Amino acid sequence: MNHPNSNADGALVDPAATDAVTDTALLQVQNLEVRFQVGSRFGVKKYLQAVDQVSFSIQRGETLGLVGESGSGKTTTALAVARLVSAAAGSVTLDGDDLLNCSGDQLRALRHKMQFIFQDPYSSLNPRLRAEQVVLEPLTNLGKLSASTQLETIDRLFAAVGLRPEQKRLFPHQFSGGQRQRIGIARALATNPELIICDEPVSALDVAVQSQILNLLRRLQSERNLTYLFISHDLGVVQHMCDRVAVMYMGRIVEFADRKSLFNTPQHPYTHALLSAVPSINKRRGAANTRIKIPGDPPDPVNLPSGCRFVSRCPIAIDRCRQEEPVLAGSAQQQVACHRVAEPVPIRQLLADG
Amino acid sequence: MNKPILRVEDLTVTLTTRDGIAPVLDNVSFSLNAGESIGIVGESGCGKSMTALAIMGLLPQPVGNIASGRIWFGDEDMVAVSDARMREIRGNDISMIFQEPMTSLNPVYTIGEQIAEVLRRHQNMNRRQAMVRATELLDAVRVPDPARRVRDYPHQLSGGQRQRVMIAIALACEPRVLIADEPTTALDVTVQAQIFELLSDLQSNTGTAVIMITHDMGAIAEMSERMIVMYAGRKVEEGTVDDVLDNPRHPYTRGLIACVPHIQEVVTDQRQPLVEIEGIVPSLSEFGQNACLFASRCRHVTDQCLAARPPEAQVSLQHHAACWHAEKLS
Repeated sequence: MNHPNSNADGALVDPAATDAVTDTALLQVQNLEVRFQVGSRFGVKKYLQAVDQVSFSIQRGETLGLVGESGSGKTTTALAVARLVSAAAGSVTLDGDDLLNCSGDQLRALRHKMQFIFQDPYSSLNPRLRAEQVVLEPLTNLGKLSASTQLETIDRLFAAVGLRPEQKRLFPHQFSGGQRQRIGIARALATNPELIICDEPVSALDVAVQSQILNLLRRLQSERNLTYLFISHDLGVVQHMCDRVAVMYMGRIVEFADRKSLFNTPQHPYTHALLSAVPSINKRRGAANTRIKIPGDPPDPVNLPSGCRFVSRCPIAIDRCRQEEPVLAGSAQQQVACHRVAEPVPIRQLLADG
Repeated sequence: MNKPILRVEDLTVTLTTRDGIAPVLDNVSFSLNAGESIGIVGESGCGKSMTALAIMGLLPQPVGNIASGRIWFGDEDMVAVSDARMREIRGNDISMIFQEPMTSLNPVYTIGEQIAEVLRRHQNMNRRQAMVRATELLDAVRVPDPARRVRDYPHQLSGGQRQRVMIAIALACEPRVLIADEPTTALDVTVQAQIFELLSDLQSNTGTAVIMITHDMGAIAEMSERMIVMYAGRKVEEGTVDDVLDNPRHPYTRGLIACVPHIQEVVTDQRQPLVEIEGIVPSLSEFGQNACLFASRCRHVTDQCLAARPPEAQVSLQHHAACWHAEKLS
């Protein structure tokens, strides 16, 4: 295993991940901010900063993972990218088109390039529409289709996601959870999108069904060169699905790295804690002793601590962490927002001694 | 270990549905020794929560009934005891933590009152004694600043803290058996790790036996000594956690272990497709057939599997698998 800091010298940088970054990026998000008003006192409005200065780009055909605990802003980031909540600041560019500033018809035209798969296959399908209508809805919204094209599209999509043609006429309640998620995937594929945002697509499913859906998503990706923005709290799923991963904490990206760097040489103390908190059948007993524990719960998002947001739970925080908010810095492969990364002692060692 | 503290014998629980009576638990037997921790794992609908509710005498009424079998708690058969005696046992000798810490606390009482209620009901403490003990219990489950927190309402606590309060309520009377039904499913992983640590510490301090119900093999590996795998209301495999995870003999157990993308110690560029368990779980109407209920999804299926329900084959002293081919699948 590499020394955690050795990849900063650039010797190991994958060429595809450096020069080409801005050229072929399908989606570019820059300094995205989302605020929710949470009341006002004496006319002064109070805001919850759900997403703060988030920037990333996704290459065509790649899967970018957003991980973090509940309240970390990963879903809000995705919703803002799809303009399902409005962003307070920043820019989102999809295939060269500015998403945040386009209006009405333009936005509708762009929507076919970007679709969403939702977490809960029970509440995200209209119970009064038949499966075929659910799947066709995004297409009919974008323009009229002839009856024969409709029929042909439906058959093609149903076959692609592994549903039987005779199931077209059924209503959502007649399907199992896994099958409903397949309907959701077929609906997302209907417009031939380039980017699909998957918001916790398997967390509501049983493990045996989960593997079916994950395999389906990967097969569709390689067949159609799809690009995924993949949101999950399950690090095992993220490790399996994603090429690059952004770890979020309280609205900010604290670590951004490719799959191998993140899981083999995690840097940020929060990433360490997340990884070691996952119960695993490989680790077994005894491993719990070497676990990096972080105390307490996430802070109140309305009154964040000053300095680094993680400072209240970080086992290796120093005075500087309480005063100055760290910025994301590092190589093209791995960036981390932590003051202690620059120190000669690796974070892993600091945490173990801590 | 010594004599089992809880013994479930040939338990069959039926649920009356519109389509008829379905055996949601079908001839399930297992035992729990004092101080032991056992895990029950399976998909939704496999009967793991029903097992817990049957033991607690909390089956949904009037649709859920114990059709046959015995649940021995010490020398008492809990299927036959009176409701009054059951209320004495429940919360005092056997208690339970539920999955949803958000909905299982009463929003209009302070958490101190809710912990004290158990103590006043079961331990005949007066109001003041019970509140003092409640504060101590909050401290024991590591809620910060317990003297102030005891007067808080559930909505003032985070999810992890609410689950700690639930644990405090469950452990207030120092029960001999604690049933934890998916205690961390609604929580974040870092908080889950805190709760697991708390539960194992409390268990080693108090000697309470724990039945942990979960769908997460990893959680079982960390928390339990023995495990039971359930499928469609039946026990398909039982053994020590090491035996079952290292050497699973039932095809379903193998599938369950292999289909989850586990975190690898060292990540490489290679990513194999996940192992799939084809198909879906049988519907309630198929429960109770004299055949292997996993047969339709099984790669090793033979005529024998469809002709009769497989008996429990003994793999080793503590390791059993209900599969006709358990011997071959090593």
